Amino acid sequence: MNDGPLIVQSDKTLLLEVDHERADECRKAIAPFAELERAPEHVHTYRVTPLALWNARAAGHDAEQVVDALIGFSRYPVPHALLVDVAETMSRYGRLRLDKHPTHGLVLTSTDRAVLEEVLRSKKIQPLLGDRIGSDAVAVHPSERGNIKQLLLKIGWPAEDLAGYVDGEHHAIALAEDGWTLRPYQKEAADAFWHGGSGVVVLPCGAGKTIVGAAAMAHAEATTLIMVTNTVSAHQWKQELIKRTSLTEDEIGEYTGTKKEIRPVTIATYQVMTTRRQGVYRHLELFDARDWGLVIYDEVHLLPAPIFRMTADLQARRRMGLTATLIREDGREGDVFSLIGPKRYDAPWKEMETQGWIAPADCVEVRVTLSDEERLAYAMAESDERYRFCSTTPSKTRVTEALVRRHGGEQVLVIGQYIDQLDELGEHLNAPVIKGETRVRERERLFQAFRDKEIQVLVVSKVANFSIDLPEASIAIQVSGTFGSRQEEAQRLGRVLRPKADGGGARFYSIVSRDTVDQEFAAHRQRFLAEQGYAYRIVDADDVGEENPAR
Amino acid sequence: MSTEFPEWLRGRTDEQLRALVTARPELITPVPAHVDGLAARAGSPSALGRALDRLDRFTLAVVETLTLQPGPITRKALRSSLDKAAAGTAGKKELDAALDEALDRLRTRGLAFGPDDALLPAPGVVEALDPPAGLGPPAAEVFRHHSPEALEVLLDDIGAPRRDGSPRDRLAELLADPTTVGRLVAEVSPQARAALDELSWGPASGRLPNARRDIRTATAQSPIEQLLARGLLGATGDESVALPREVALFLRDGRVHRDLSPRPPDLEGARRDQVLADRTAAGQAFTLVRTVEELCEHWSVEPPGVLRTGGLAIRDLKRTAQSLDLPEWAAGLVVEIAYAAGLVASGGSVDGEWLPTPAYDGWRVKSTEDRWALLASAWAGMDRVPGLIGERDDRDRPLNALHPDLRRPAAAQVRAQTLAVLASAGPGLAPAAASVLARLSWEQPRRRGAQRDRLAELTLREAEQVGVTGLGVLSAHGHGIVRGDGTAAGLLAPLLPEPVDHVLLQADLTAVAPGPLTSDLGRWLALTADVESKGGATVYRFSERSIRRALDAGQSADDVAGMLERHSATAVPQPLRYLISDVARRHGRIRVGTASAYVRCDDPSVLDEVLADKRAGLLRLRRLAPTVLASKTSRATLIDSLRAMGYAPVAESLEGDVLVSRADSRRTDGPPVARGAGPTGPEPDVAAAAIRAMRAGDEAHRTRRRPSHGPDGQVPRSPATATIQALQDAIRQGSRVWIGYLDAQGHATSRILEPARMEGGYLTAYDETRAAVHRFALHRITGIADVS
Repeated sequence: MNDGPLIVQSDKTLLLEVDHERADECRKAIAPFAELERAPEHVHTYRVTPLALWNARAAGHDAEQVVDALIGFSRYPVPHALLVDVAETMSRYGRLRLDKHPTHGLVLTSTDRAVLEEVLRSKKIQPLLGDRIGSDAVAVHPSERGNIKQLLLKIGWPAEDLAGYVDGEHHAIALAEDGWTLRPYQKEAADAFWHGGSGVVVLPCGAGKTIVGAAAMAHAEATTLIMVTNTVSAHQWKQELIKRTSLTEDEIGEYTGTKKEIRPVTIATYQVMTTRRQGVYRHLELFDARDWGLVIYDEVHLLPAPIFRMTADLQARRRMGLTATLIREDGREGDVFSLIGPKRYDAPWKEMETQGWIAPADCVEVRVTLSDEERLAYAMAESDERYRFCSTTPSKTRVTEALVRRHGGEQVLVIGQYIDQLDELGEHLNAPVIKGETRVRERERLFQAFRDKEIQVLVVSKVANFSIDLPEASIAIQVSGTFGSRQEEAQRLGRVLRPKADGGGARFYSIVSRDTVDQEFAAHRQRFLAEQGYAYRIVDADDVGEENPAR
Repeated sequence: MSTEFPEWLRGRTDEQLRALVTARPELITPVPAHVDGLAARAGSPSALGRALDRLDRFTLAVVETLTLQPGPITRKALRSSLDKAAAGTAGKKELDAALDEALDRLRTRGLAFGPDDALLPAPGVVEALDPPAGLGPPAAEVFRHHSPEALEVLLDDIGAPRRDGSPRDRLAELLADPTTVGRLVAEVSPQARAALDELSWGPASGRLPNARRDIRTATAQSPIEQLLARGLLGATGDESVALPREVALFLRDGRVHRDLSPRPPDLEGARRDQVLADRTAAGQAFTLVRTVEELCEHWSVEPPGVLRTGGLAIRDLKRTAQSLDLPEWAAGLVVEIAYAAGLVASGGSVDGEWLPTPAYDGWRVKSTEDRWALLASAWAGMDRVPGLIGERDDRDRPLNALHPDLRRPAAAQVRAQTLAVLASAGPGLAPAAASVLARLSWEQPRRRGAQRDRLAELTLREAEQVGVTGLGVLSAHGHGIVRGDGTAAGLLAPLLPEPVDHVLLQADLTAVAPGPLTSDLGRWLALTADVESKGGATVYRFSERSIRRALDAGQSADDVAGMLERHSATAVPQPLRYLISDVARRHGRIRVGTASAYVRCDDPSVLDEVLADKRAGLLRLRRLAPTVLASKTSRATLIDSLRAMGYAPVAESLEGDVLVSRADSRRTDGPPVARGAGPTGPEPDVAAAAIRAMRAGDEAHRTRRRPSHGPDGQVPRSPATATIQALQDAIRQGSRVWIGYLDAQGHATSRILEPARMEGGYLTAYDETRAAVHRFALHRITGIADVS
C-alpha cells in the first residue's frame, strides 16, 4: 500500500493531507493542474477542472505528468475512469491553434481534421471565419480573435493562441527600487505572466498586486492602459506607480468621470468605460487612442460584461488580470480564461501569511440575538425585506459600539451595506461616513486622515470594498453585506491585511443576527475565507464585553 | 447398420467415459440407460452440434479433413493433408504435437474413433459438419438430379471414354481424377477461371436464374455456361448451382483449409505495469461495492416501480444514473449486477417496486473484498446482457434494465471465454479488443458471429467497470474470479484501503475520513453530516440540517459532540461545537405528534373526571392542555366508549387530520434469481455416478438383446439407436428401407421408403407405397429393415 499524502476522489477532487511529510512536494506537483478549492487546517481540497487542466497545458504540462503525479502521490488506487478523463480533456487543448499566417493574417489551424470539421459546422462559429486555407486551416477575421476563443472554449475545444502580440508603442518604464525591492513572489508572478504572454495573477489582498502590475509594465516597456474599479483606486495606482517606477506624474493620465487624460500610461475606471449615452459606449475610443502594449485589469473578478465584450477586441495586446479571488459569483471564470488568459500565478493566502507578507488575521463572527419585538417584526416582514431587516437590526448597533469601545486606540473600519444603518452608526460612534455620494476629494481627505491616525473610526459603505489602501487599519467590523457574496467578504478582510508597522495582527468582526437569513448568508459569505484557512470563531454578542481585549 | 462406434465406446475405460461426459455434459442429462443409448445420444445432431461448437479451429479442421474421406484414414494421410494447409505457420514437431492433441481431444469427446491407422469420424459427424470446410457437395450429390441422358451428353462433351455403369458414377469418377479436372479447367476462358477461384474457398454455391439449361461445350457462351457444360459446376436446383467437392479440392491444390495454424493467434496489446493495473482494478472494485451499496440504500427509501412488462423504466434508470453520478450504461450495469447477486428484487405484487432483499442486509455487513467477490462472480455468471439496455429489440421496443428480455443464453459463456482469453494473456498485457475477438474466433470458429463479438466487447468494457481488469489487464483478484475458486476476495483485500476509525475535523465545518470508515462510524457520520465527496476518502459537511437530522434520530447534543471527540484525530473546532449547541438549543422547541381523535371540553373538571375513570385506560388518553385530551383511538370508538361511561359526547368534524407513516426502508423476498448455466461441465462425482449407472444398465441391456432383423412379412422392430443408425446409412447410400410406422391413429403400418434427410426428430423420405414425399416422426418408427 502506497503511503502518499494525496487521496483522489471520484468526483475529481484531490484531498491533500497537509501534515504529511511529502505534502509540500505533492502540492508543487499538483498545483499546475488543480485549483485549490479549500485550504482549511488539515486537509486541503484541490479540484481538477477542465479549465485547470487546460491551464496546465497552456503552461506546458502534459497528461503524462498529471497522471504520474496523481498515481505517484495517491494513497489509494486512482479510479481508472478519472485518469482516462484527464488524458482525454487535456488532449482537447491545442488541437486547434490560432496562428499568424504571412498572407492570410490570423488563421485557425488544426492537427486533427475531424475537430476542425466539427468546429466549422458550428453555427455560432461560422460567421467568425473567413476562407478555408487548405484542409487543415481556415482564416479568422482578426477582429474576432477573442470571440472565437470564447466560443471554442464553450464547445470544449479551447484554442491555443500562438498569434502573438503587437509590441505597442514603446515607452521607457523601469522599476525604481530605492529603499524597497520586489518581493520574490511578486517577481515570480510578473515573470510567469510575461512568459505566458497574457493571463491572470491571483494574490491575496494586501500582497501588493499593484507592484506586480508595475513589474509587468517594466517588462513590457510600452504604453499601458490600466482599468480599475473606481476613482480612488485610480489615484492610488497613480501614486504607487510614481513611487515605485521611473514614471513621472506627467506620464500618467487619469480617465475618470472628471478627468479625461490620455497619456503613455492611462488609468481608467470600469464605470467610465461602461457609461452609455443613447445606447452608445462613449469612451470606446480610449482603446484605440494609443497603440497600447499592455492592458491591466485590476480586480478581474469584477470585470463587467461590457468590458468582456470590449476585451474580445483587444486580443492582439498583452492582457494582465489581477485579483485576490478568481471566484465570480456569475460563474464567468471561463470568459476570464479565454479572453484575458489562463491563470499564471496563484499563492494561497495562508502561505503568504506565514511568510509575513500579509498580516495574520483573526476572524470572529459575533452573533446577536434579536429581541422579542424584533423577532416578531422579522417574522412578519415581507420576504424581500427580511434580509435588510435582520442585517440592520438595532441590536447590531449596540454590539458595534461595544466593539469599537473595546478597541479604543486602534484604527477601526466599520463596513456595511445599508446607508441608513451606516448613517446611524456614524452618529452613534461619532465617526465620519463614506458612501457613494461622498465626493472623491472628501473621500480622499478622510482616508488620508485615517492613515495619519487623525481619525480612528471610519464608517464606509461598499465603495471601500476594493483597492482602498489603508495600511494601518487593524480592525474591521462588518455589520451587513451584499447577501452571500464570498468575494466581498474576502475583499473586506483584505482591507486589514496589509502588514502592520508594529507587526501585529488584524481582526475581522462580522456581526450576524442569529436564527435569521442573515446567518445563512453569512455562512455562505464565509466559505471562501474558511476554505482559505481562516477559521471563524463564533461568539455571542453578550460575551463581547467579557472577552480579552485584542492582543 | 454399424455397431462399430457403440462397441468402441463400450471398450473405453470408465475414466475415458467420464472425460467424455465431462466434456459433453448434455450426454448425461438425463443419464442414458446403457452404452448404446449413450452412443445414440452422442450421434444425435443436436448433441454433435454442441460438441463441434466447442472445438477450436485446428481441431475442427482435423475432424473436417477426416470426414472428407469416405472410409477410414491413416494418421499419416491426415497429417500430410493438414501439413499442406498449415505450410509455413508451424514446424513439423509442433504440427505433430498439435495433431496428437487434436486426435486425443476428438477421441475423448467421441467425435472420432479407431486406431491411428484407421481413423473414422463418429456416426453423424459427417452430416453435422455438412458442408465441411466451405466445400460444396460431392459430384455424385451435385448431379443426383440430372437425368442420365443429360449426363451422357455431358460425358461425351468432355471426352469421357464410354464405359458401363451409371453416368452419374462415371462423372464422379472423372471429377475425382485431378488430371481430368486440370484439363477441363485449362479449357475455360479466364473469366470462367476467375469465377471458379471465387467459388473455390466457399461459399461453394451460387444463384443462377434458369440453372437447368441445356448447354453443350460448343454452344456455351458466358463463363458460367462454359463451366456448366464441363461439369465443373452443376445445377442443384432451378436457380442454384454448386461447385462439386472434387473440383474445389483440385482448385485448392489439395489443401482442405486455406491457412491453418496449429496454435491460436498471439494476443496483442499495450504493456502495463501489473502492480499498477492491480491497484487500478482494486480502486474500481472498491468503487463498485460502494456504488451498489449506494444504489440499495437509495432504493430502500425511494424504490422505483416495476414496469407492467417487467423491468425498470428508462426514467428511473436515468434518475438512478444521476444519483450515482454514472453514465447510463454503467448505472444499468450496477443495477443488473445487484439484481444478479440477489441484492435487489421486485416486490412481486401487481404494482411492484424494486427493493433490496434481506440478502442485502447480510451482504452489507461483510468486508469490502467479500462483497466485491460476490458481485464480481454474480456478474461473471449472469446470463443477462446489461450492455443491451437502451437498445431496441426485434419489435422495436426499447430494452429496459432488469427486463426479462435482457437474457441471452450465450452471455455467461462468452463472458467466461473472454475472461479466459484475458487470463491467458500473461502479466501486464492489456490485449486489444480486436486481438481478443480474433482469439475467440480461433477457439470456437463455429460460434463466430456478430452477437458473440458484441458480447465479448461488452465483457471487456464491463470488466473494467467491475474492477476485474485494470488498465485492460486482468488483475490478480480478477484471476480469482476467472478461476472461480474463492480466492478473489483474499487477493483483493491487501489492495483495498484499510478501514479507519477516525476523521479529521476542520473549522470550515467539514470532516475528512482519510479512508473507508468502519461501518458503525460511517453510518453515524452519514446521519450527522452530508457527504460532499466520495472516493478513497469521504468528505462530510456539517450543516444545521444535518445536525438536526442527528438530533431527530434521538441523539443529544452531548452525544454528537462526544462521538466527534472520540473519533477526531484533532480537537473539535470551535465553530462546529457552536453549530451543534446552536442547533440543539432550538431543537424540539415545537413538538408535533399524531392523535386520531381528541376530546374537548370547556370545563377542565369534567376532563379530570374522564381521566380518573378506570374504564378510560383503554382509550390511551393524553392531556395536552387543561381543556384538551388527545387519543390514539378512532373518533367512533372514543364516542362509543364515552357514551358507555355515561357522558354525552358530540362528534366534531375534523379537517386536515392526516396520518402519514411509512417505514423508511423496506425489503422484499423476490423470486430467486435464475443463474445462467455456467460454462463448466458437471461435477466430477456426478460424471462418475452417471458412468457407473450406464455400465450397470449396459450389462442388463446386452443380456436381453435380440437380433434386429425381424422375420419377413412382420413389421420390423429394432432398437431406436439402430433405427437411426440404419436411416443415416440409408441416406448416405441412397438405398431403400422398409420401416414399421405407427400412424397418427396408432395403427401399425409398414412402408418402403427412400430416406432423403433427417432433422429435428423427423425423417423426410420418398414413400414408395404412397408415391409421395412424406415426413415421418422418428419416435413413431418402430423398426427398420433393409429392402433386399
